[in-house]
Amino acid sequence: MALLDVQNLKTYFYTREGAVQAVDGVSFSVEVGRTLGIVGESGCGKSVTALSIMGLIPRPPAKIVDGAVLFDGRDLTKLSEHELEDVRGKEIAMIFQDPMTSLNPTFKIGTQITETLRRHFDISKAAARLRAVELLEEVGIPDAAARLDDYPHQFSGGMRQRVMIAIALSCQPRLLIADEPTTALDVTIQAQILDLLERLRVERQMALLIITHDMGVIAEVADEVAVMYAGQFVERAPALELFDNPEHPYTEALLGALPQLEGSGIREGRLTAIPGRPPDLVDLPEGCRFAPRCPYDGLDSCASRPQELREVRPGHLVRSAHPASARGHAREPVAT
Amino acid sequence: MAVNPRQATTLQPQTAAPPLAETAGAPIRQSSLWRDAYRRYLRNKGAVASAVVFLIIVLYCLFIPGFWFIPGIWTTLFDIDPNQVNFAEARLPPSFEHPFGTDQFGRDLFTRVAKGGQVSIGIGFAATIAILLIGVTYGSISGFVGGTLDNAMMRFLDALYGLPYLPFAILALAIIGTVNFWTMVLALTIASWFTAARIVRGQVISLKENDYVRAAHAVGARWHRVLTRHLLPNTLGVLIIATFLELPAVVLGEAFLSFIGLGINPPDPSWGSLASEARQGYRTHPLDLWIPCLFIAALVLCANFIADGLRDALDPRTRET
Amino acid sequence: MTEGSALVPTASTGGPLLTVTDLEKHFPVRQGILWERTVGYVKAVDGVSFSIPEGKTLGLVGESGSGKSTTGYCILQLLKPTGGTIRFQDTELTTLKGEDLRRARQHMQIVFQDPYSSLDPRMTVGSIVAEPLEVHRIGTRKGRTERVRRLLEVVGFNPNFTNRYPHEFSGGQRQRIGIARALALSPKLIVCDEPVSALDVSIQAQILNLLKDLQRDFGLTYLFISHDLAVVRTMADEIAVMNQGKLVEVGAAEEVYLHPKDEYTRALFTAVPVPDPRRQRERKAERARLRLDRATGM
Repeated sequence: MALLDVQNLKTYFYTREGAVQAVDGVSFSVEVGRTLGIVGESGCGKSVTALSIMGLIPRPPAKIVDGAVLFDGRDLTKLSEHELEDVRGKEIAMIFQDPMTSLNPTFKIGTQITETLRRHFDISKAAARLRAVELLEEVGIPDAAARLDDYPHQFSGGMRQRVMIAIALSCQPRLLIADEPTTALDVTIQAQILDLLERLRVERQMALLIITHDMGVIAEVADEVAVMYAGQFVERAPALELFDNPEHPYTEALLGALPQLEGSGIREGRLTAIPGRPPDLVDLPEGCRFAPRCPYDGLDSCASRPQELREVRPGHLVRSAHPASARGHAREPVAT
Repeated sequence: MAVNPRQATTLQPQTAAPPLAETAGAPIRQSSLWRDAYRRYLRNKGAVASAVVFLIIVLYCLFIPGFWFIPGIWTTLFDIDPNQVNFAEARLPPSFEHPFGTDQFGRDLFTRVAKGGQVSIGIGFAATIAILLIGVTYGSISGFVGGTLDNAMMRFLDALYGLPYLPFAILALAIIGTVNFWTMVLALTIASWFTAARIVRGQVISLKENDYVRAAHAVGARWHRVLTRHLLPNTLGVLIIATFLELPAVVLGEAFLSFIGLGINPPDPSWGSLASEARQGYRTHPLDLWIPCLFIAALVLCANFIADGLRDALDPRTRET
Repeated sequence: MTEGSALVPTASTGGPLLTVTDLEKHFPVRQGILWERTVGYVKAVDGVSFSIPEGKTLGLVGESGSGKSTTGYCILQLLKPTGGTIRFQDTELTTLKGEDLRRARQHMQIVFQDPYSSLDPRMTVGSIVAEPLEVHRIGTRKGRTERVRRLLEVVGFNPNFTNRYPHEFSGGQRQRIGIARALALSPKLIVCDEPVSALDVSIQAQILNLLKDLQRDFGLTYLFISHDLAVVRTMADEIAVMNQGKLVEVGAAEEVYLHPKDEYTRALFTAVPVPDPRRQRERKAERARLRLDRATGM
């Protein structure tokens, strides 16, 4: 049984302009010890998905209108706030993008760690402090015992992210949700943080749900990938399979639009730009949501029909009337 | 392929510009910043109610006794002169002709309170405008120039802050000598321009960091253009809010000074002097004291609520980016 | 309509358009309550030298705090360098003042990173793009309006929306407005300061393509500042790598990417995740090897 099983999750935001269908029927599961990456551009709904799982969306104006979030068999959407608080931190932990604002600047980090520990476990302050030092050492912060009494502003961005990871892992959660964990960091620090996450995940056999817009990060850490567009998954496949055989026109376009670091003829070439802009989530088109930007839109009347996710290759789901394998030309692996 | 730089300036690209269909053409949201703010303001019931009450008070003060060349509603209707003493009509209870009754000198309080309001609110607005003008000038120069000049200007301001508001105003009045509408405006302005200066300076300093200011410098705009074209228009929101915060302070200041007898001289009324006159007969005729005080309180409260509502409406955090 | 007086000769001499030598920008660190004393310096830019041939792009890469943006601002004289020389064609920029500096500014412009703070929210799109022309008193009102329309067309922005305000447009559209503004005075050099970092991937591609087209069509020279190595790869002919104010490596892009000489450069390149899981595993191993070689902790 999967550790996390999200079934047809729908989260809408009710605003003056109408209902923003931020997450519109998303289903996936994360197994113990595996990493699922949700990738998409800004506004596609990936962060809202993560927050919905944790019950951290502001209600109102948001509301989970449909679907279930099964964690170990329990439906989190049906729990009360009090019960959810017991789950948060202890069973499922989350780390956020901006380490500047996710740590409270007025508390020492030692306090922030011990506070979490003592919320979920009945231990003394002294024991909590010892555990905190252990945790800081585990995430690679030198001179941990002394650093416990420092404030967040005394750490660099990468260090702060490590502290956040320490807090997140303090209560041994079984699932870690990371929302753009490295976007605000320098690239060398990013690599270190990703390595750290991977090591900790393996050591503790944790499941990891990583949300990002960066395909490179996905390639680095994800076992399975889901591509999100306008509130829905448009493709879902194991990572290697996705990069080798992208099926959905959006995924193909996204990969084509990425500036390449390795290869030849890059300077002279042009990037494959995707025309237009993602749709307004309040005013979604009736049929296929990607149609206005899709190069295969004119082939038939597929634009007017909303597409379903279907399996086009083993383990590979696509929401498109014209997935690459149906288009007939030979697929080449992305690696050059 | 070598491109002749001269040719480059005539904007004839060698390939066609990308078709507009390929690029996002239309605006993604069509709205005006002011209209958004207006709508947000309307959602705040307290602010809307305050604005209405404020307006009613102002209209009352203007049109009941008349102003300028416009005759007052009440004064023409009942042929009343607010300053006319008439002992025969002294201490009349409230009636249709005299909704607030008459005072110990037989003067109709309804029109007197309105006339007093003209003075109090008038001084309030005049002083507020003066405060903003001085504050904007001082604050924008200080914030814009920065460095040692800013430092010096702010230390000077800090020193002035130490002086208590009302005694300072009284001192200013004493130095000026005479007491009339404009000297009161002057005194109250002198005593309270610092806050506005500080607010504007803060705004200018934070606005200076925006890239569009750097862009203006990069293009070669001179300092006065940057200041007037880019910085000051963007402080407008803050200035409007500051207006509605300064106004009650000045009105209260004027009321206090008039109350203790250092303000507008009789027989011209102001809310403060009306309260002062009513003080002696308070036990037997409490209404004469209560009414001007309630008007002062109402105006101050409304102005504060309006300022609050404006701040929420113009708050850049909730503004769409 | 005059394009503005030319301070520098218009014919391309074939030499470098811009030569920066030993550029320094030191920020004093002040302490003290009443009398502020200078206790030290933050050396944001510490001896940077490079040159850019006309019509080419130099990619300036580095992580945050490396001083790359500060270098760009110093070149444009938005910050006064504390040392070094900046030669723009045949003119020494650091000694220019007043009117001469203003006139020189026509030839070098900048595109900013943040599409939200780079446009004055109280000005219409049309007046934003027209401002450079107004400042230098180029053309008549009507002529300027026409030129603004053409500029917007060239960058792929619908010229019928000149009366709208920036907040009504998306990030990508705003960047186009910013680019149109930068082109208004027909500059020779454009400093692109992280122009696509705040944009989504699909919009990034549009803007990068646009910048490439503009360079080709108008013979522009770019100083392209970015922390994103893949983006720089697609834009730059030459690349300079900065670390903590110093230039650690500079050379032809292909050379530097394929055979980085400096250790920091190598660490930087291997750290960038590429969208290819197999290749990424190899790079991870490379990173681990580099770490072992360096044997310094994080």
